[in-house]
Amino acid sequence: MLGPTVVAVAEMAPAPPGLDWQQTQLQLNHRRLTVTAPVTETLSRTLRCRVGLTSVRETCGVGVCGTCTVLLDGSAASSCLALTAQLAGVAVTTAEGLLGPDGEPGPVQRAFIRRGAYQCGFCIPAMTLAVHAALYVRRHRDREAVVDELSGNLCRCGSYPQIREVLMELLADRGGEAADGATTGGR
Amino acid sequence: MLETCALLRSNRDARLIAGGTAVVLMLRQRLIDPSLLIGLRRVPGLDSITAASQWLSIGAAVTLQQVADSDRVRALAPSLAAACQEVGNVRVRNRATLGGNLAEADYASDPPAVLASLGAVVCTAAPEGGGRRIPVSDLITDYYTTQLTSDEVVLRVEVPLIDGRRSAYVKYRSRSSEDRPCVGVAASLVPDPQGWVASLEVVVGAVTSTPQRMTTATEGVVGARHDEARAGAVAAAVAAAIHPIADGRGSAWYRTQVIEVMVRRALAMVVA
Amino acid sequence: MTVVDLDDRDAQDTVVGRPRYVLDQHIEGELHAKIVRSPHPHARLDGVDPTRALATPGVVAVLTGADVSGDASINATFGRQRSDQPILAVGTLRYAGEPVALVVAESIEAAEAGREGVGIECRALPHVVDAEAAGAPDAPQLHAAWAGNGCGEWKLRYGDPEQGWREADRVFEGTYWSPPASHVPMEPHVCLAAWEDGRLSVWTSTQAPHRVRDDLAAVFRLAPEAVRVQTRDLGGAFGAKGQTTIEPMAAVAARRLGRPIRLELDRDEVFLTIGKHAASVRLATGVATDGRLLVRRVQVVYNAGAYALTSPLAAGQGLLRAPGPYRIPHVEAHVLARYTNTVPSGPFRGAMTSQLAFAYESQMDEIASSLGIDPVALRRRNLLKDGDQYATGEHLHQLHFGELLEDAARAVEWGTPCAPAPPGRVRGKGVAVMIKTTLTPSRSVARVELAADGSITVRSSSVEMGQGSRAALTRIVAQALGVQEARVSVPHPDTDRTPFDSSTSSSRTTSSMGTACVRAVDDLRCQLTERAAAELGVPAESLAHRDGAIGPQGGGARITYEHLLALGDPPLVGEGLFESHGGLPAMDPLDVRGFSTVHWHQGAAAAEVEVDCETGRVTVLRCHGSAYAGRVVNAHRVRQQNQGSVVFALGQTLMEELVYDEGRVVNANLAEYMIPSIQDVPELTSTAIESSDLEAEPHGVGEMALPAVAPAVANAVFHASGARIRCLPLTPERVLRCLRENARADGGSGG
Repeated sequence: MLGPTVVAVAEMAPAPPGLDWQQTQLQLNHRRLTVTAPVTETLSRTLRCRVGLTSVRETCGVGVCGTCTVLLDGSAASSCLALTAQLAGVAVTTAEGLLGPDGEPGPVQRAFIRRGAYQCGFCIPAMTLAVHAALYVRRHRDREAVVDELSGNLCRCGSYPQIREVLMELLADRGGEAADGATTGGR
Repeated sequence: MLETCALLRSNRDARLIAGGTAVVLMLRQRLIDPSLLIGLRRVPGLDSITAASQWLSIGAAVTLQQVADSDRVRALAPSLAAACQEVGNVRVRNRATLGGNLAEADYASDPPAVLASLGAVVCTAAPEGGGRRIPVSDLITDYYTTQLTSDEVVLRVEVPLIDGRRSAYVKYRSRSSEDRPCVGVAASLVPDPQGWVASLEVVVGAVTSTPQRMTTATEGVVGARHDEARAGAVAAAVAAAIHPIADGRGSAWYRTQVIEVMVRRALAMVVA
Repeated sequence: MTVVDLDDRDAQDTVVGRPRYVLDQHIEGELHAKIVRSPHPHARLDGVDPTRALATPGVVAVLTGADVSGDASINATFGRQRSDQPILAVGTLRYAGEPVALVVAESIEAAEAGREGVGIECRALPHVVDAEAAGAPDAPQLHAAWAGNGCGEWKLRYGDPEQGWREADRVFEGTYWSPPASHVPMEPHVCLAAWEDGRLSVWTSTQAPHRVRDDLAAVFRLAPEAVRVQTRDLGGAFGAKGQTTIEPMAAVAARRLGRPIRLELDRDEVFLTIGKHAASVRLATGVATDGRLLVRRVQVVYNAGAYALTSPLAAGQGLLRAPGPYRIPHVEAHVLARYTNTVPSGPFRGAMTSQLAFAYESQMDEIASSLGIDPVALRRRNLLKDGDQYATGEHLHQLHFGELLEDAARAVEWGTPCAPAPPGRVRGKGVAVMIKTTLTPSRSVARVELAADGSITVRSSSVEMGQGSRAALTRIVAQALGVQEARVSVPHPDTDRTPFDSSTSSSRTTSSMGTACVRAVDDLRCQLTERAAAELGVPAESLAHRDGAIGPQGGGARITYEHLLALGDPPLVGEGLFESHGGLPAMDPLDVRGFSTVHWHQGAAAAEVEVDCETGRVTVLRCHGSAYAGRVVNAHRVRQQNQGSVVFALGQTLMEELVYDEGRVVNANLAEYMIPSIQDVPELTSTAIESSDLEAEPHGVGEMALPAVAPAVANAVFHASGARIRCLPLTPERVLRCLRENARADGGSGG
């Protein structure tokens, strides 16, 4: 006996009653996507529960932990504190958006994999976005400046030493040749 | 802007939302229940940083990270750039706006104390031309409370530019690197032609409901040489004059000790 | 340097964020549930008014304790050691945050809105938050069945303590305090429950699927086979998910409403569900003037919170670990756990041990300082060596405390002065060593299946929660069988499909389940040998295994494993068992002695710190964790676990404390309960000491260095500044107060 069917997330978000709804056209990971959500719905809930992106997590709900990190027009933002209804025309990038055109991992993701820089993995997709933004959007060259920008992404398993190794590797690569961070939606 | 003010006037429980980091938090925690949210991000004219000979003008919708990164602000009001760089984390700085930060009047926030120390002024718009210029040092009246009326909107912040001014902001955290400040001290010193003190501002934030502008403690230094002994005296006077709060970041006693230390350190930075 | 292959599918999925956790799961037709919680730390519950909630659009039902206790087919309370925890509160509210009602709705938003509309009628009672105060004769009593709020009492006596006190040249005493704290797993507790044909299926973020199964079966008075529990990878646990917590209420709601229920906790609720035992440790040690430890008295009071969970037995685990890793001829130890009106305490990484190590390793340095002996030298003189007798009467073997101490000391260049600190700051170094037992008795069963296509499936109920158990078991099985790791898969735990495991905790998986897997492989190999012997027509004894194939020992044609199975044959299944017996349950709690643990966990840490003398702020410049690992299966994962546990410990050392005001938690959020960020953590180093014996057992390392970190840092702070802090966390305020006290005591000449 198999038990009840476990289904993918995107089918499962019914309409909450009694709230004002708004249709918003998002630019999500290079695709245009129209979502209909209550006006007060956070981007994190929309992405996770309506669009079905499991890479967007929510741990603290107060913008402190970073597991809900997305890029908005290339800048790191807490999706738990952003209202979907305000984001018409804004380019939203999640970890899925860091993949290459054939779905292969992008440079930041490759560095995390090579270094095994993850344990339970819960904070990691957000961490890759934060690293991407710090290195390729804000273009920091100094490791401590990048570390400063990662201080808002918490990892309870304590993978910080491996994450520092990832930064060293990516900074060294960037010193050598131009980074192909342009595969992403970030700007 | 006119439309914004009109909307505010006609919807008593409407809320302005710019970056949203504060408003969305309050929504989620059910602290507010507005019937209407008025987004400010597309209102023109709120997002530029300009400088004239006497003033640095920062639009209310400029983000804290933009303030921190701005070459203009770094050159003309470096303590403000430094303070904005210290706020929260990069995600907050990317979205939170300077105008929103002031309107929120969070007692444990960095920019208000610095702006007060620089003599900054908030320019507002209101229906029927009722906009005002409010010194930042008078703006915040209590926890999360400002002088702003419910149909008033912050347009920009103006920072006076004074030749030779030296300013600093020191943020002391007692717990993690991500903690809000236990004590924040903004200092701003204008030397006279001899190099002595023409004016000195010390503003202490995060220790009481509003930033504390310490005019009495700094009076005695005007016209004098700014040296270590005087700095120590100012620091002691500031610490004695404040009755700080107690919370998870420290007891009142502890804050008093740290206020003295941080004032001394901030003063050392504006002398060097 | 490549630690993980870029093609590793699991690694890719992790980094990109593909569905992985129970948090990512949904069931068709599910209803969403949200918990209504007690506003008072202690109160008589007179009634629950669901009227407004039921009128909220989308709300389908509100379940209360009265509904649960009114259902004769359900046991309304659960709890393995003491069945004292109500599924939903009835009669008495025992802590602020206790679940009182469950709102069930068509959407999360409706459930959240409905939650606001449930009224609780109650009358406040006096409450008690402190475990010592809970033992006072006039203290509020939480449970009628347990007088004096007792939640476990254990005693140990070794040698002749009276004689020891007489012989001691000097006696050192101190009380050391560890506050309540929280695990903060990034993924919250979450479960889905559904019934079909009288059978309960549950998906839950748990470290112990069989434990949850058995607890649920007990609740519904069903045979265990009528309950199926599945889990996925956990987004962190650290002990928070080792006990049954939210599953019973979800299952009750699912049965009443005839629909699947999904229950996901908000962040503040995770803080209110389970936490770390606060503890006060009174420690007295008598020594000879040459530094030999002669006698020790340990008195511990652990704060169990409002419900027992594992506290009664866990307090005993504390007792076993209380004397510390030292040769002490006379020991008397007394450990108590008490109920209080606070969040229930449960296993926490470094369980029951961090609080003890903070005490005994701080006191070691106090002794060293007073006697004028170097702290490392003092430890060398007294650390347990192989064959020494411990306070339980056992002779201990496979001890490596000496090596761990030397390794930790070397890592911070002990003996070399610190580099000069900037003006107004001072620097110092500290070390600490710790001893711990592991879950005993315990049981782990593994099955290894070989299919006709050559694929190998490991059936194990060990849970992957970031510690790399799946990778470790994959490697152990692949190596034992002599095949490529890519052929081995380890599906998720499912009590219908994976055999029994006590739990994934206590750093036991690589060792216990690893051993079970090796035995399963042995069993499988025997079966393969028999088949090959039959096929080749030769005696079984003449055959040998190598590299996934079997053939005559001297050489000659070999058959690969998969060719021993014809297409369409069912898989060959080998089964292996690891079991340990004895331990605490076999002992008299008031006279503990005898075999206590299947092996001893050993760890050490060293730290170098800088103290800002004007603010008291402590910056850790470097920190090193040393663990004894037995046999390292995966060096990268071992290093991660070792260093990760140091990061975790630095949180409790410097900044973590669950704060109560008027009996209510005031910082149940990540803005006010601070855990370390990347900037708070210095460059870390670590060592995993391996046995020279290639056949040695692997030991888990997830909790080894951890308990030694706080005392190592506290000792470094003392070395740097003279401030001896006996309370955690080592906040700047505590340090500054101590520095000022010291300066006053010195007549203002110091500080």
